[in-house]
Amino acid sequence: MNEVVSAPRPRRGAGVRRGALGLALVLPPLLVLAFLVALPAVTAVIETLTPAGGGGPTLANYARVLAVRTLRADIVFSIGITLLSVAVVFALSYPLALYLRFSRGRAARVLGVLFVVPLFVPVVIASFAMITFLVNHGLVSTLLYQVGVRAFPRLVYNGTGIMLTQVWVNIPFAVLILGAGLQAIDDALIDGARDVGAGPLRTFLAIILPLNAVPTMIALTLLFIGVFGSFTIPYLVGGNAPAMLGVTMTNYLTQYLQRTEAVTIAVLAFVIASVVGAVYVASVSRRERGAV
Amino acid sequence: MRRYSRLRGSAPVVLALLAAVLLIPTSVPRSAGAAGQVTLNVYINGDTNIFDLWNKSLLPAFTKRYPQYRTNMVALLHGNGGQGVLDKLIAAKRAGRTTDVDLWETEPSIVEQGIPEGLWVKLTDKLVANLAKIPPEKIAATQGYGAPYRGSSVVIGYNSAFVKNPPKTFDDLVAWIKANPGKFTYCDPNTGGSGQAFVSAAIYKFVNPEKFAGSAYDPKEESAWEPAWKLLRDLQPAMYNNGFHPNGNVAVLQLLGQQNIYMASVWSDMGLDFYKRGLVPKTVKYEQITPPLFGGDSTVTLPSFSAHLEGALTLLNWLLTPEAQELVIRDVSGYPGVDWKYMPESVRRQFADVAKPYSPLPNAKYLADIKRLWHDRVAAGQ
Repeated sequence: MNEVVSAPRPRRGAGVRRGALGLALVLPPLLVLAFLVALPAVTAVIETLTPAGGGGPTLANYARVLAVRTLRADIVFSIGITLLSVAVVFALSYPLALYLRFSRGRAARVLGVLFVVPLFVPVVIASFAMITFLVNHGLVSTLLYQVGVRAFPRLVYNGTGIMLTQVWVNIPFAVLILGAGLQAIDDALIDGARDVGAGPLRTFLAIILPLNAVPTMIALTLLFIGVFGSFTIPYLVGGNAPAMLGVTMTNYLTQYLQRTEAVTIAVLAFVIASVVGAVYVASVSRRERGAV
Repeated sequence: MRRYSRLRGSAPVVLALLAAVLLIPTSVPRSAGAAGQVTLNVYINGDTNIFDLWNKSLLPAFTKRYPQYRTNMVALLHGNGGQGVLDKLIAAKRAGRTTDVDLWETEPSIVEQGIPEGLWVKLTDKLVANLAKIPPEKIAATQGYGAPYRGSSVVIGYNSAFVKNPPKTFDDLVAWIKANPGKFTYCDPNTGGSGQAFVSAAIYKFVNPEKFAGSAYDPKEESAWEPAWKLLRDLQPAMYNNGFHPNGNVAVLQLLGQQNIYMASVWSDMGLDFYKRGLVPKTVKYEQITPPLFGGDSTVTLPSFSAHLEGALTLLNWLLTPEAQELVIRDVSGYPGVDWKYMPESVRRQFADVAKPYSPLPNAKYLADIKRLWHDRVAAGQ
């Protein structure tokens, strides 16, 4: 590359030099990505495809892992809890983001400050807070008891607990992304729609929703991957079984001393996450194209 | 603007001061090392009571007796970070370098994982003279890679305000659990020995404990555990919160302390410690059932390629003297690692009631399978 730079062609040389600078700038993150993400991922995949006794690549490890009913239950549970959490987060965040974007009152300003609070609470503390809040002798059960409700549902140490904690932790993140998308929508468009007689619902469906589609997809995919890959919340707030895959992997690695199984589950989790990741990449590149 | 530039001017000074402050602590032992002192890095897994035992009793007593050594304790709370230390050791070993981990009190599963890598010193009486005082079967249980220096056993903790006639046998205990739904639990065996002990007790009800305690391992033998899984599965609806097992020994003691449950399996030393610190009501009592729940020896392991192996061996040998063993008994209500007959008469008399026999711990591989199968057959309920 150096010879090209020193080649006696000033106009092209400047371009190449700029290219080299660009390359030098992206190289560190690229190397980090290669050595800390790509290389371990490739080694992991190779490890899971190699049979214990030697020989050619085989899917035997995957067959063995997927044959364990508990593990299948864990995978289904992980996906289910993740989808449910994302759905609830989304259902709560979108109206909040809309309200913060289009309301001018003091309530909106106060809410605009309040909703980010969970971002500054470490996940482990949030989990313990949710436990004290939701457990048998916690605040919620005491309140219900006071108003005469005797049958108290189990809200922690199961999927419900994980879901509720994930929702609490993830709402600010979702609102920030959705809100940023909504900010980008020109007021003139909305005013225009109103001028030609569109009601709030029509304006939302015809203007806001389509224009905000890409940030919405990005928020959904990032939420999915974040919840799916979480460990702290499922470990602290979840039950014993079924468990989310982060907890299962840790158990296989450190408790059951079955490294290959742990890596195989990790690859499976990676495959599931990358399907969702593909949606993200597609959304982002669509936005890039739209920008051009 | 001027203030800003003045601040900028002082930045190098601040940085230099910061660097000096950061460097001082590391440079002091180094200069002391030049005078013939060796610093031993002692990695300890455990709870705060065990850290205090090492930091305030064992290590000061050791350096007083052997002034040529200094010690530096690295605390791994509940074994957190243990996997990272193991990875560090494996990496150093493969790279052919020495390690700064000189002695490590850790879990059997970590020791087990390091054996194929050749990480540990195989301990013999020749290397460590006082090892001869430890009952040989205790050494055999670690395949010779761990030296037991303190023991404790799992007992039943119960709140005598609610439990007037505590169970005396394992069968009584099972009957009590069924008769008092929601008032008993044991911790998830993946997260604590007190839970493993209860699960092992169920297994030992149907099989000979000795068969699974030695170094032999044959997964086919595990089919004999099926009746135990059925027993435990049937108990699930009677457990706290309809079958919930909290994470860790401490979480169970907290439930006992909050009076959410009236009975649980707990470690003897931790239970006594909670009692002493007032973290459980004064009505909480501990007792051993028949057959006893398992007990275990906490072992220390020496990396074979440590930079100060001789010092580590000296420390281990001293750890097995009556002097060190009495500190263990005094500070954490532990049992001595060495045979009781090497302890002074006064100590033996004082601990006559505590030093009851306990069931053996399953070996590390069986224990790993117990945890996995428990999750499969009991928690997931198949």
